[in-house]
Amino acid sequence: MRDFIWTLIRTDFKARYHGAVGGFVWALAKPLVMFLVLHQVFSFLFRDRAYLYNLLLGILLWSFFAEGSTTGLESLYRKSFLLTKTSFPRWIVVMTSIANSLLTLLVYALSILVVLMFSHGRPSIVCLLLFVLYIFLYVVIVFGFSLGASVLFLKYRDLNQVWDVMLQAGFFLAPIMYPLSILPEKYHFWLYLWPVTPIIQFSRAVLIDHAPPTLKAHLMLFGLTFTVFGIGALLFRRYAQPAMETL
Amino acid sequence: MHVVDLQGISKKFRIPSARRDTLREHVFGLFNPRRFEDLWVLRDIRFTVRKGETFGIMGRNGCGKSTLLKIIAGIYRPDGGSLDVRAPLTPILGLGLGWNQELTARDNLLLTGTAMGMSLKELGEQFDDIIAFAELERFVDLQLKFYSSGMSARLAYSIAFRAVREILLLDEVFAVGDGAFTQRCQDRYTELHKSGHTLLLVSHNPETIAKHCQRGVLIDGGRVAFEGDSEGVAKAYERLVGGGEPSDGKPRTEGEAAG
Repeated sequence: MRDFIWTLIRTDFKARYHGAVGGFVWALAKPLVMFLVLHQVFSFLFRDRAYLYNLLLGILLWSFFAEGSTTGLESLYRKSFLLTKTSFPRWIVVMTSIANSLLTLLVYALSILVVLMFSHGRPSIVCLLLFVLYIFLYVVIVFGFSLGASVLFLKYRDLNQVWDVMLQAGFFLAPIMYPLSILPEKYHFWLYLWPVTPIIQFSRAVLIDHAPPTLKAHLMLFGLTFTVFGIGALLFRRYAQPAMETL
Repeated sequence: MHVVDLQGISKKFRIPSARRDTLREHVFGLFNPRRFEDLWVLRDIRFTVRKGETFGIMGRNGCGKSTLLKIIAGIYRPDGGSLDVRAPLTPILGLGLGWNQELTARDNLLLTGTAMGMSLKELGEQFDDIIAFAELERFVDLQLKFYSSGMSARLAYSIAFRAVREILLLDEVFAVGDGAFTQRCQDRYTELHKSGHTLLLVSHNPETIAKHCQRGVLIDGGRVAFEGDSEGVAKAYERLVGGGEPSDGKPRTEGEAAG
């Protein structure tokens, strides 16, 4: 099973970079170049350094969510050539679909950490560990969403279009371009239910402001993660088998 | 000792009066509810395959053979009865394996091989054998989209024949490739049988079943119509197709099956 997971990740990766020689270099270079371009453009546009870093971090975290959830949603459908011919635990296909986006996220995260270290201030070890925790929870959220959505997509073949529109709205719903504080306090609780929002806000708190959120805030993030993953896993358990039999 | 045991396997499909695949269709169809009909494709299928046996499954098109195979292979779940498969199984369903057209033959082979539960080490050791068996050495790094259907079918059978574990499940074998390849498949089949593998063969060719199997079943209308030695199965099949009361060959619905 370990060999299967590895082969799936490797072939996904290869299909994405067209098996080019040095495909791995390409995979690393793309997010890195993207990061440098964004950094240069925004440095030029915005004099306010704190805003610049908040914006960069927001965009990078967002792009993982947008890309990971989209490939996750289509994962079962895209692998139907395997699902109709061999039997293996189906969730593996959903899990490995996130691997490529995760690699990009890690390159982004390391780049921004390097920039922050040199030009903003070194976050403490605790803050760094918390950031790693947020990334982990983020992956769990995207995985949970993908479990549920990938099954629904087999039944509703226009769900990817719907999700595309929701992602566009979601980009502006999350505090990426603007600070959350410009919105009235009474809406904050609801805004935090959009999982991208707490992840972005908490990451900013530990990496840029060096002020970790409260324990209560963390518990709520755990609750949100658990809820998203739980719903996705339940949908998958209940509907994955019958939905795949209609392929 | 048995390796595959089916105890009263039943399978139904819910057939909607209209197919709706998108959210849009579901929303617009809210005031126009669909009716569902239960179609029983398999009814109370029982048979046992012993270790090392060559076992044939016969039946006409649409009798439920393929559905039965998918259940034995663990891809479909039965709606009734119990299935006991006691050894690792390599299924070749519907003329071929799942291929990703964008990947090369090499990667496809590794992907399907590991999906069937083989390790990369095992696959590495047998890789050259598999490719040589299919005579595809020159095309091993060619993407599958450039393969002819014959070539990709050959690749599938090569994996099945070279990489088989305990049980081999074959859908319409010996129907692929030229004479030389068919001969090679038959030789390998005999070899596998001698070395103690269990072979399940599906076909609607009575000669194939009579020649290559010891025992078998005939499926008709979703039920076991005959069970016994392979010559008997082949004869029963010919009777069914040729003379006598022709059954409509369609799977039965709930009402008919109960009545």
